[in-house]
Amino acid sequence: MKDKDRKLYLSSLTDKLVRGEMGRRDFLRLSGALGLGAGALGMGLGPRPYLGVSSAQAQEAVQPSADVIAWLKEVGKPFAGTTLKLATESTPPSNAINSQLKKYFEEATGIKVEIEVLPLEQVLQKLTLDVASSLGTYDLYYIDQSWAASFSQDVFDPREQISAKPDLAMPNYNIDDFLPALVDGIAMYEDRMVGVPYDIPIFIMIYRKDVYEELGLKAPTTFEELYNNSKAITDKKGPNLFGYAGQMKSGHYALECEWTSMLWGHGGSIFRTDGTFSGNDEQGIAALDYYTKLKATMPPGVDGWTWDGQGQAVAQGVAASMLSWGEFFPYFDDPTQTKVSGLCEAVIPPQPIALRTVKDTGYGEIPGVGHQGGSSLAVSKYSKSPDAAWLFMQWATCADTQALITVLGGGTGPTRASVYDDPRVKANARVGAGTTRHLPVVRETIAKYMGSEPDLPEWAQLSSDTIPVSLGKYFAGGYGSSKEAMDDIAAQVGEVLKG
Amino acid sequence: MSVAQVKRISISDSPIPWLLPLVSLLVVFTIYPLIYNIWLSFHEFVPRKRALQFVGVDNWVQLWNDARFWSSLGVTFAYFVIALAFELALGMAIALLLDAELPGFGALRAFLSLTLVIPPAIAGMMFLLMEDPQFGALTYILNSLGLLDKSIPILATSSTALAGVLLAEIWQWTPFMVLIFLAGLRSLPTEPYEAAMIDGASSFQMFRRLTLPMMSRVIAVAVLIRGIDLFRVFDYVFVMTSGGPGTATYSLSLYAWQQTFSFIKWGYGATLSLVSLVIIMVLANIFIKVFKVRW
Repeated sequence: MKDKDRKLYLSSLTDKLVRGEMGRRDFLRLSGALGLGAGALGMGLGPRPYLGVSSAQAQEAVQPSADVIAWLKEVGKPFAGTTLKLATESTPPSNAINSQLKKYFEEATGIKVEIEVLPLEQVLQKLTLDVASSLGTYDLYYIDQSWAASFSQDVFDPREQISAKPDLAMPNYNIDDFLPALVDGIAMYEDRMVGVPYDIPIFIMIYRKDVYEELGLKAPTTFEELYNNSKAITDKKGPNLFGYAGQMKSGHYALECEWTSMLWGHGGSIFRTDGTFSGNDEQGIAALDYYTKLKATMPPGVDGWTWDGQGQAVAQGVAASMLSWGEFFPYFDDPTQTKVSGLCEAVIPPQPIALRTVKDTGYGEIPGVGHQGGSSLAVSKYSKSPDAAWLFMQWATCADTQALITVLGGGTGPTRASVYDDPRVKANARVGAGTTRHLPVVRETIAKYMGSEPDLPEWAQLSSDTIPVSLGKYFAGGYGSSKEAMDDIAAQVGEVLKG
Repeated sequence: MSVAQVKRISISDSPIPWLLPLVSLLVVFTIYPLIYNIWLSFHEFVPRKRALQFVGVDNWVQLWNDARFWSSLGVTFAYFVIALAFELALGMAIALLLDAELPGFGALRAFLSLTLVIPPAIAGMMFLLMEDPQFGALTYILNSLGLLDKSIPILATSSTALAGVLLAEIWQWTPFMVLIFLAGLRSLPTEPYEAAMIDGASSFQMFRRLTLPMMSRVIAVAVLIRGIDLFRVFDYVFVMTSGGPGTATYSLSLYAWQQTFSFIKWGYGATLSLVSLVIIMVLANIFIKVFKVRW
C-alpha cells in the first residue's frame, strides 16, 4: 500500500473509531496491520490518571508544521549523533512524544531521544541520584510541581537559556504564551523558573447529565449543592448508582489531593504563614466534616480507590459525578471503553465557601478548588549535551507540538494559551474518543480556580504519607472525631518539619 | 600462567579454586551490599547538600523513638505468626489427605503447584478485586453467608484489612507447604505404621506418635523457609492496601521501601532493612537451635 493510501485508510479507521462505528479491538487489529504499534495508541500504563485513549484525530492532521521541522533541521545539524535521556512519569505529553512524535524530532535533527517512562517515585529517585552524583545521566528533568523547590538549582532557567543562546532559540517559541497561573503554580520557585509548564492535570467537575436531568438536578455550583445532588442520586438510585465517587485510598496521594480541594473550598489551608499546619483550624474541621458527609453518598468501595477506581466508577456507570482530574473526560467519551460516552458534562469546580489568599498561607501554597498536579520540563545543569537538550525541550513544549499532543488524545490540558485556540484542537471538540470538548472548562479552571500545593522539601513525605495515612485512619474509624484526627496530623506534620 | 600451572591447580585437592567463583559472587552481591548498608545506616542523604552526611547513631535513635517503626514491626509479627500457623496447619492437613493413591489425586497434586507460579503482586490484585465491597466475589459470598456485614469493606476497615491480605498470602503459599509435606510423607518408612496398627493404635495416635516426630525436620525446614519469606512481606500489602487503612497493614518492608525510595531517606531506610535482617537472623538461628535443623 502506498504511503498516501495507508494514511487515508488509517484516517478512515480513526474516524470510525471516534464515531463508535468500530470496536477498539478491530481498530487495533486493522491499524496494527498498517504498522501502527499499540504504544502509538497511547496505551501507556502508570499511576497517573492517564487512561490511554485512542487518537481522535486522523493521522493526516498529526504532523508537525513545516516551519518547525525546517528550524529543527537547521539548528540540529551540529548535534546529530547525540543521545538525550529523559526520565518521566506516564503522562499524556510524554506518551504521545515517546510513541508518536519524537520520530519527527529525531529525523530532523539526528538527535536520538531515549524516554524512560517510570512510576513517579522512581523518577524522583533517579533525579535525586543524578543530582547527587552530578553524572548527567539524564539531560532533561521531568519535575513534578512539588519538587520545584528541591531541583530549582539543578536546572537551567529557560529565560536565561533564551537570552544566552539566541541562535538556538526557536522562532515564535514565545515563553509568555504559557498560562501565567501555571508558570506561578508549577514552574516558579522564588525568582527562578524551574523549567516550563509541561503537563497540567487539574480538578474539574464531571457529572452525568442524563442522571441529573432525570432527577431534575442542576450542575453543582457550590459544595452544598454538590452534597445535596449526590445524596439525592444515592437515595433514589442506590445501590446501583451513587451520587459521587471519591479517591479515598488510605495512605495514597490521591486522598490528599481530594482533601486539599475540600479544604481550600471551605476557606482553609494546609499551612499558616508561620509554616505551621492549619488543617486543624475551624475551616479545616468544617472541610473534613463535609468530606465525611459526602463520603456517605459514595459507593462502599471508595476507601480503596485512588483516582483510577474513581474514574472507573464513573466510566462503568456506578457513580454520577466526581470532582477530579480533567484528563478522565476524553476516556469517558470513548464509546469503546465506557458506558457513559456522550453522557458526561464538564463544568468548573464548585465555588468555594470562602478562599484564603496566598498571603494567608505558607510555603507558596495557592488555595483553589481546582487542585492541580502539573509538572514542568527542564534541562539539567549536569547534562553533557545541554544545547541539544534545550532544542528538544523547546520542540516538546512549543505550541505546535502541544497541539499535536492534544489532538492525539489523553485529555490533559495544554499549558499554552494559544493551543486552546488552535483549530486542530477545536475541531476535536465532539463526543468521541480523545475529545477536547472539556478543554474550555479546564482553561477557565486554570485561570480562575486553580489550587497549588505548597513548595517545601518535606512535602513529598507529608502529601503521600503523613496526611493521607492519618486521613485513612480517620475514615476507618481510627479517631474519635475530625478534630482529633486533624490535631494528630498537625502534631505529626510538626514532627516532620522539625526534622 | 602456564598450562602446567593451570593443570596443577585444577587437579589439586585444594577447594579454593572451586570455591573462588562462588565466593566472589557472594562478596560482590551479598557481603559488599551488607557492609555498605551498615555504613549507610550511620549516614543520611541531605537533599540541600546533595550528599550523604555522617549522622552517627541518629538513625538508630530515631528508629527507637519512631512509633511507625514499632507499629509496622507489630503488623509484621502478626502477619508472620498468623500466616505461618494457617499455612502449617492447612498444609499438613491437605498433605495428609492427598497422601493416597486414589484416582485423580496425581492431577490434584500437580494442580497445587499452579498458585506458586503466579507472581505475588498478581495474586494480590486478584484478591483485591475479589474483596471489592461492590463487585467482589469473595465479599458477595461472605455477605450471603452472613459472615460479613455489607457495610464493612474488608480492606478498608482496620479490623479486617490484615485478614483480607492474609487470605491472599495463605491461598498462594499453603500449596508450597503441602508439596513439601507430601514429599516428606512419601519418604516415611511403612514398618512403624504396620507395627502400630498391630498394636491397635488409632489414626490420631499414629499421626501424633509417628508421623509428627518423623516429619519434624521436614516441617522445620518448611517453617524456616516460609518464616523468612513471611517476615519480608511486601507485595500483597503494597498492592492491596498500601499499608492502610491508616497503618493497619503497614509492614516493616513496606516502611523501609517507602523511606528509601519515596522519601529518599537512604540512611534511615538502610537502618530499617538492617533491623529486619537482624530479626530474621536471630529468629532463624533460635529456631535452628531449638528444632535441631540440620542441612
